[in-house]
Amino acid sequence: MTASGSRRLDPAPAVPSIEFEAVSFAYPDGTVALDGVSLRVEPGELVAIVGQNGSGKSTLVRHLDGLLRPTSGRVLLGDRDIRRAHVAELAGRVGLAFQNPDRQLFAGRASTEVGFGPRNLGLRGAPLEDRVAAALEAVGLSADVASNPYDLGYSRRKLLALASVLAMRTPILVLDEPTTGQDARGVARVRAVVAAAAGEGRTVVAISHDMRFVAECFRRVIVMRAGRVVLDGAPESVFGEAAWPELRATYLEPPLPAVAGARLGLGATPTVSALVAALAAAAGGGR
Amino acid sequence: MAIELVSARYRYAGSASPALGPIDLRVEPGRVVGVAGANESGKTTLCVVASGVAPAVIGGRLDGSVRIDGVDAATLRPHELAQLCGLLFQHANTQLSHTTATVFEEVAFGPCNLGLPVSEVVERVWWGLRVVGVEALASRDPARLSGGQGQLVALASVLALRPKYLILDEPTSELDPAGTVQVADALARVAAESGAGILVVEHKTDVLARIADEVVILDRGVPAVSGRATDVLADPRLAELGVEPPAAVRLEREVRAGGLDWSAALAKATA
Amino acid sequence: MTASSATPGAAPLAAPGAAPLAAPLATDMGLPDYVVRRPKGFYHSLNPATKLALAALEVVAAFAIPGWLGPGPVLAVLVATALASRTMRSLLLIGLAALPLVVSIMVVNLFLLPGASDPIGRLGPLAPTWSGLWFGLLTTARLLAFSSAVALAYVTTPVDDLLADLSRRGLGRRGVFVVGAAVQMVPRTIERVGEIMDAQRARGMDTEGRIWRRARGLVPLAAPVVFGALAEVEERTMALESRAFTAPGRQTLLRVPPDRSIDRALRWLALAGVVAIAALRLTGRLG
Repeated sequence: MTASGSRRLDPAPAVPSIEFEAVSFAYPDGTVALDGVSLRVEPGELVAIVGQNGSGKSTLVRHLDGLLRPTSGRVLLGDRDIRRAHVAELAGRVGLAFQNPDRQLFAGRASTEVGFGPRNLGLRGAPLEDRVAAALEAVGLSADVASNPYDLGYSRRKLLALASVLAMRTPILVLDEPTTGQDARGVARVRAVVAAAAGEGRTVVAISHDMRFVAECFRRVIVMRAGRVVLDGAPESVFGEAAWPELRATYLEPPLPAVAGARLGLGATPTVSALVAALAAAAGGGR
Repeated sequence: MAIELVSARYRYAGSASPALGPIDLRVEPGRVVGVAGANESGKTTLCVVASGVAPAVIGGRLDGSVRIDGVDAATLRPHELAQLCGLLFQHANTQLSHTTATVFEEVAFGPCNLGLPVSEVVERVWWGLRVVGVEALASRDPARLSGGQGQLVALASVLALRPKYLILDEPTSELDPAGTVQVADALARVAAESGAGILVVEHKTDVLARIADEVVILDRGVPAVSGRATDVLADPRLAELGVEPPAAVRLEREVRAGGLDWSAALAKATA
Repeated sequence: MTASSATPGAAPLAAPGAAPLAAPLATDMGLPDYVVRRPKGFYHSLNPATKLALAALEVVAAFAIPGWLGPGPVLAVLVATALASRTMRSLLLIGLAALPLVVSIMVVNLFLLPGASDPIGRLGPLAPTWSGLWFGLLTTARLLAFSSAVALAYVTTPVDDLLADLSRRGLGRRGVFVVGAAVQMVPRTIERVGEIMDAQRARGMDTEGRIWRRARGLVPLAAPVVFGALAEVEERTMALESRAFTAPGRQTLLRVPPDRSIDRALRWLALAGVVAIAALRLTGRLG
C-alpha cells in the first residue's frame, strides 16, 4: 500500500505515546484482571503482548480506548489522562481490531462495513471511498468490495474486520490475535499490514499466541501472567535462554530458532534469519 | 475396517460448484491422518463428508462413495453415525449442549441420548474424561471453562459415545499454546489408547508433525500432496499451497538456502 | 498423566468396566455427589411440580380472596417458608427489584384513587386519601405475594431439575432441550451483546451521545447478534447430531427429582384450595 504510492492518503496524525501508571482492574465479579501494570510505549513502537488466555492481555488493550476504565492507576495517551475520555472520541486515535470478526460485522456489503469507522469519525464522499478502497487493498480484499461479509469464509471475514479498523487510519493500531484462523497467505497479509503501519511511523500493539509472528514482526515483547507484566524486552532477551524459566512458567515455549541457537551456543537467535546469520558468522569465524 | 472415501465429490445445497473432490481417502483404526491446506480449500467440507454428516444432516449432493467399516454412510441414521464416527469442531462453544450444570453431565449427554443404563453412562463418562485427561474438571460448570478446557470437554463428550473414528476440524485454532499442547497430547493418547482412527484438520503443522501418521494437503477441494507425515510436511510445495511448514522443516530449509551445512549438531539442536 | 502414558506397553485405559481411578465418591449408581445434588431441607426437596402447584395456590389466594385475608396469610406463609428454606436473601433482592413498581403503585393510588373522598391532608394541588393508601398497600401486598411465590419456587429449583422432571412426565427430549437451551441462552446473549458493543464503540459508534444518535446504533448492534446466532445454527445442529441427540427411544435420566407421597398430597391440597377459592368466589360467598 505504501509502496504503490498511486493513492494519496492523508498522513497519520501525530502519534502519542502510551503510558500505563500502576493500572489495576477488577471485573464486577471481583476477578482481578490487571494487577498494577506500569509500562510506557513510545510513538512508533512495535509491541507484541503474549501470555495465556486470561492473563490480562485483552483487558489491558481495552483500556486504550476507554472500553474499560482502570479501577486504580492512570492511562495516558501523550500527556493526556484518558480515564474520562469518551470511547467515540478515543476511537479516532486508537484502532482496536478484535479477535472475533463475527462480533462486529453487520453490513450487507463489505464496503459499508469498512466505511463504518471512518463515517463515525465524520468522513464522507471521496475521502471516505479512498479510505475504504485503500483498507480493502491492504488486506487483499479489493475484489470483495461488494460482497456480503457473511458470504465470505472466516479468514476473509477476519481480514475484513481488520480492514474496517485500518480504514480509520488511527495513529495507534491494536490487534487482538490477528493471525488466528489465517493460513500462510493470510498471515503474510497481516504481516504486511503491520509492516506498512510501522513504515508510516504508527504504533502497533498486537496480542498473539503465534511466537514466530511475534519474534519476526515485533521489536518488543511483553509477557503477561495473572494480570502482571513478567517479561518486557526485545525478542532477543524475552526469548533468550535466561528468560526460559519465566516463559515456561507462563506455559509459553520459546521459538525453535531461539532454542537451537542456545543449544549450539550461538547466543540469542529468536528468528530463523538470526540463527542463519549466527551460523554463517560462526562458520566464517571458524575458517 | 476403515473410513473410505472413493472418488467422493460433494456440493453444498444451493451451491453450483463442488466444494470437495474428487477425493480418495482412507482412515484406519489407530491411525492419525492430518489434513492441511489454505483457507477455503475444502478442509471443513472433508470433515462433514467423511463423518457422513453431509449429506445426511445438512443436505447437499454427494457423488462417489463414503463407507465406514464397509457400510455406505448414506444409509446410516445420524445417531448410528455418531457411534461410529465422532465429529468435533473449532469452537467448543457451539458443541456443548448448554443445558447441563456440570462437565460430568455434559459428557453424559451423548450416552444418555442413547438411553444407556446409568451405570454404563457413568463408566463411559469417566473413561472419556480420563483418556482426554480432564477428570479433574468433572464437577465444573461447562460455561466457565477456558477455551482449551472447553475443547477438551467437547472431545471427551464425543468420545463418550465410543466412536471407532474421530474427525476434528481445527480443534486448536482458538487455543493458546498451553491449550494447543493439551489437545495435541490428548489426541495422541486417544489414538494410542482407544484404537480410534483420527482425521484431524490442523493449520498448525507443528501439531501434525507430532501426532499424524499421514498427511493430506488439500487445494481447491482435491488432495495436492499426500503420504507419510514426515514426507508431506517436508514437501517443498507446501508454501505455495498456503501451508506453513513445521518450524524444524523451515529452519533446515533456510539453513541450506544460506549455503550452510545441515550438521548433525544442528539436527540435534532442533529435534 | 504424561508420565504414565509414556510408559510403553502400559495397560490400555480403554478397558470398559474398569472402575474409575481417583473418581470422587460415587453414591447413586456410581454418580458423583455433585451430579446427584441431594437437596437440603424440606422445601428444597419438594418436587418441582409441587413447588409450582403451591406457588399457584398462593397466587390465586392472594388475588382472589378479597381484602387482607388473601395477601396477608399468603405473605406470612411465604416469609415463614423462605426463613425455613434459607432463601430470604434471594427473596429480598427480588423484592428490591420490584421497588420502582411498588412506589408507582403507591403514588398512583394515594393521590389518584377514583371516588376516594377521605383525605389525609393536602399537599398543594394533591390530596392523598386514606382509602387510596389502604388500596395501594393492598395492591402492593398482592404484588409481593405474587412475585415472592414465583421467586421462591424458582430459587429453590435448579433448572436441570425442572427439565429432568418435565422429561420424566413425558415432555420429549426436543422440548426439554428447547426449554433448557432457551434458559441458558440469556447469559450467553448478554455476553455476546457486550462484545459487539465494544467492537462498534471501538469503531467510533457513539453510545454516550444523544438518544437519536444512539438509536442509529441499533443495526450495528442487532445484526451481529442475529447473524452470529444463525451462523452457529448449522454447526450446533451437526454437533448435536454427532452426540446422538436424535437417537430413538427414551433418554437416560441421571437424576430424577423425588416425587414422594407428601408431594402428591401437597399437590392435591393445592388443587383443592384453588378449586375451593374459585367456587366460593363464583358463588359470591367471598364478597
